[in-house]
Amino acid sequence: MARLEDLPPATAQRLRDLECPVYDSSPFVTGGPLSTRRVAIVSSAALHRRGDKPMMPGANEFRELPASRPTNEIVMTHVSVNYDRSGFQRDINVAYPIDRLRELAADRTIGSVADTHYAVMGANDPKAWGELADQLVGKLRADRVDAVLLSPV
Amino acid sequence: MGALAHLIEQRGIATTTIGLIRLHLEKIRVPRALAVPFELGRPLGEPENPAFQRRVLLAALGLLERTDGPVVLDDFPEEAPGRLPLEGWKPAVVLPAVPVPGPDASAADWANALCTEWTPLLWTHMRHAGERGRSTVGGGQQDRERWPELFAAFAAGTPPVESAVPGLRAVQAMRYVADDLKALYTEAAIAPGSGPSSRQVLDWFWNDTVAGALLQVVRARCLASDDKVLNIVGTMQIVPGARVR
Repeated sequence: MARLEDLPPATAQRLRDLECPVYDSSPFVTGGPLSTRRVAIVSSAALHRRGDKPMMPGANEFRELPASRPTNEIVMTHVSVNYDRSGFQRDINVAYPIDRLRELAADRTIGSVADTHYAVMGANDPKAWGELADQLVGKLRADRVDAVLLSPV
Repeated sequence: MGALAHLIEQRGIATTTIGLIRLHLEKIRVPRALAVPFELGRPLGEPENPAFQRRVLLAALGLLERTDGPVVLDDFPEEAPGRLPLEGWKPAVVLPAVPVPGPDASAADWANALCTEWTPLLWTHMRHAGERGRSTVGGGQQDRERWPELFAAFAAGTPPVESAVPGLRAVQAMRYVADDLKALYTEAAIAPGSGPSSRQVLDWFWNDTVAGALLQVVRARCLASDDKVLNIVGTMQIVPGARVR
């Protein structure tokens, strides 16, 4: 597996040419110092609990990842096979840095870790994610989250 | 991810995004983003390296204190050392020399070859999963004992009609078990703390194992089918583009 420039030319070109949404607004929310922030992770790695239905292409949904869930219960069912998974297999934090986030809360670099984190299927079309974002932000607010780390694969 | 960051920010919560493809961050004009020079699948850069991961995470979270928006795009300056091959690395499991079944092989031939090959691997996988405290195998929701028969049926051109997973067609269910098969092998091949590059691990799986050969055949069978869903799965969801034969 490789970085974008190391991928087969056709795959790399497809990623370069991927249509990205263009927005007519530029929201930019500011807040207090990092040491006061309550942080949640949103991963696009299609992570979920083992035993739950795989995340399907085209299904605009998110899955909840309670911070208390043992990492041994988390699996990845992303549709793409064109990225490295061996890193995730060796260490979940390379894609879902939950232990690192806990450490930053323990040494008070951040304020606290959210009770629940989230995963989506990154290969889906973000143009259809408005309703998903409404629901997701509702849950983040209920958890008093004021900072979100978005982590891709 | 950048698009979702925009949508969350638009709804009033601050975000910071790690990005593996800088061009996408630029196109979307993500509110706060850290472009990282890592391989796809490793946004924190380096597995089993908490200090490196912490530096990446701090660089990303530090953007939350920036006020010079509406677009902040920084670059993480360090390369991930694990991208380079680990000299002398060998898989932690020695597989028996099982001949890859030929073009006229039956389903039983493929199932037997896979079972013979992976028998010594299962113990190593269990040991490594115990040491790591986790395994990523299981997304496909099917008992491992059923995998050889499932793949063999597809390889022989006789895919099952019934799916073992409710809500999924048999080929869709098989596709996730294919990910489980790859994970079973690679988690066994990589001893905890050993750190081979991803390329070394994939070279081994796709070039040196019956399991890799079997997935290549399954892919080819899916592509040869008249069924559109099998075509889609075969084209994009079993063998990485760089490993297609």
